[in-house]
Amino acid sequence: MTDTLGGLTQEVVSGVALGCIYALIALGFTLIYKATEVVNFAQGELMMVGAYVNFFIVTALLDIPLLNGAMGFLLAFAGAVAFAFLFGTFLDLIINRPLKDEPVFSVIMATISMAIILRAVMALIAGPMTRLPVSPFGSGVVKIGGIVISVHDLFIISSAVALVCGFYFFFNRTKWGIAMKATSEDPMAASLVGIPVKKVYRNVWIFSMVVATVGGVLLAPKTLLDTNIGFLGLKAFPAAVLGGFGSIPGAIVGGVILGVIETVSMGTLSFHFPWVKEINDIIVWIVLIAVLMIRPAGIFGREEIDRV
Amino acid sequence: MKGRYADENLKWIAPLILLVILLPFLLRGATFSYRYYLYVLNIAGIYTILAVGLDVLSGYTGLVSLGHAGFLAIGAYTSAILVDQAGVPFGLSLIITPLITGLFGIVVGFPALRISGMYLGLTTMGFGFIVRRLIIALRTWTEGSAGLEVTKPLLFGFTFNSDWDNYFLVYTFVILVIVSIRRVMKSKVGRALMAIRDSEHAAQAAGVNLTRYKLFAFFLSAVLAGLAGVLFAHTMRFISTDHFDILLSIYFIIMVLVGGVGTVYGAVVGTLFIVLLDFLAIPIFKDWLGSFVAVEVADIQSLIFGLIMFLFIIFQPMGLYGMWLKMRIYWKLFPFNPKKRFT
Repeated sequence: MTDTLGGLTQEVVSGVALGCIYALIALGFTLIYKATEVVNFAQGELMMVGAYVNFFIVTALLDIPLLNGAMGFLLAFAGAVAFAFLFGTFLDLIINRPLKDEPVFSVIMATISMAIILRAVMALIAGPMTRLPVSPFGSGVVKIGGIVISVHDLFIISSAVALVCGFYFFFNRTKWGIAMKATSEDPMAASLVGIPVKKVYRNVWIFSMVVATVGGVLLAPKTLLDTNIGFLGLKAFPAAVLGGFGSIPGAIVGGVILGVIETVSMGTLSFHFPWVKEINDIIVWIVLIAVLMIRPAGIFGREEIDRV
Repeated sequence: MKGRYADENLKWIAPLILLVILLPFLLRGATFSYRYYLYVLNIAGIYTILAVGLDVLSGYTGLVSLGHAGFLAIGAYTSAILVDQAGVPFGLSLIITPLITGLFGIVVGFPALRISGMYLGLTTMGFGFIVRRLIIALRTWTEGSAGLEVTKPLLFGFTFNSDWDNYFLVYTFVILVIVSIRRVMKSKVGRALMAIRDSEHAAQAAGVNLTRYKLFAFFLSAVLAGLAGVLFAHTMRFISTDHFDILLSIYFIIMVLVGGVGTVYGAVVGTLFIVLLDFLAIPIFKDWLGSFVAVEVADIQSLIFGLIMFLFIIFQPMGLYGMWLKMRIYWKLFPFNPKKRFT
């Protein structure tokens, strides 16, 4: 019995780490959704691009003697974030600007096409092989009362929490954050009161690309790096819907709950009920459909259904 | 008084049907590899049936579906199991299977009564994943991810042995589907669906029963996908879960978008365009690009399709059919075009 309980606790802990990855991705499209009401289906691919850029710089720096350790990683991370700034601006320029007045559906389709373009282009550049990025925090583990958690997972959890707190503060307390919220309510009114709507849109895409890069850099050593890690971005959608789409605390709560559900169903549940094994990879989608049937607004969302 | 369909020019339908019938003979006369072209055309025909169904749902009714490959899979597997394992004749399966798939459509349609837009897209996407996983789980009948071999179509004692025979089977249904769906969309039902797309509130105020018509749109769309599934299973003669992944669902959306949303002909033109591009142009492009870098066909395919969809959304949201309409108006008015009309 204690054995099962210990195993379960261990699963919950790794589930939290996995859920924080979902939360980071979900945070990225929550930002865009909050300001523009566009759902960015390419978020997972943006994360992949960020991870690849970081990896390429790290490998390029390996030959330079002083820069092949933590210093090099920091430099690569700075490079990846700088790239994220440029790429976010570029995405705003090619997706958001031309489709400003189109229905949201067209913009969503544009992000889907951007997702498959990015995956193909990355496959052309990086080749089909799977890369093995090394974790900057080493492979050390921490033991707390019989539960093992890797240092890398601790970093994932803490950076997710930090980013969520940071963005929560940003959206509720700072001038720019409130400007973004106002833009999402009504772009016309926002520009009438002097909010530079175009700049707001650009910053939102940049932020979301930076968040994606952070997520990708943290995720890559955990899952290995190939062009398919973008598919993980799809699993962040159920997380965001569960937490309440467009809610920043919802992103992390939904992500963590979903991560825990997934690891527990893969571990203990599959062990005790063999049929659960069959539905492991779709359990997030079953959760999604259940949430949409019962409470479409999610945990933190506002009830906004216009009944007909 | 004008009849219901009087505004429509139907003169070209007979020559078009004649062309469809003559095409294989022309191809046989023109080239030795006509069998391959017929195979490609068969796939195009099957996808056309599905794309028309998707257009009914997403184009006419405005309910997004990112999981139509799931319906195709249900149709294909149901028919394969019915015919090969339950001994149902192929002709009967052609009727039963689409109806069964239609029931699945109604089930998926229920969430659509409460949610819309991107949430519906996610739900249908989840449905696609769930179907794929269930097919693997039900391995007693479906042989899991190994795939299932299917028998040839046998109708009225005639076995459809080759792509040549299948061509006529597939295109009979393509023509039937195009003509009948165009009729349905011009009728009261079609106008109700379009009213739902334009404004649910207004539609309901005008007396459209939202529940019934939304479920009907899902049903009709799934029936067509099921029909495409039956033809797919029996003409390809091998199906596996790899055929029905999420990318295929997105490619279906691309077909409808490229052709022109909310027009049956648009879905047909878009499907032909994408499938012909896929089978005839992409291998050539891949060979050319392969001389510079190592590439895989799937990557080239998604790169080109993604680019096409992206460019169409930005520059030509009405699709190929919309382009044709604009050109026609342009030539009709030719010397007297109002300035800046098409900007």
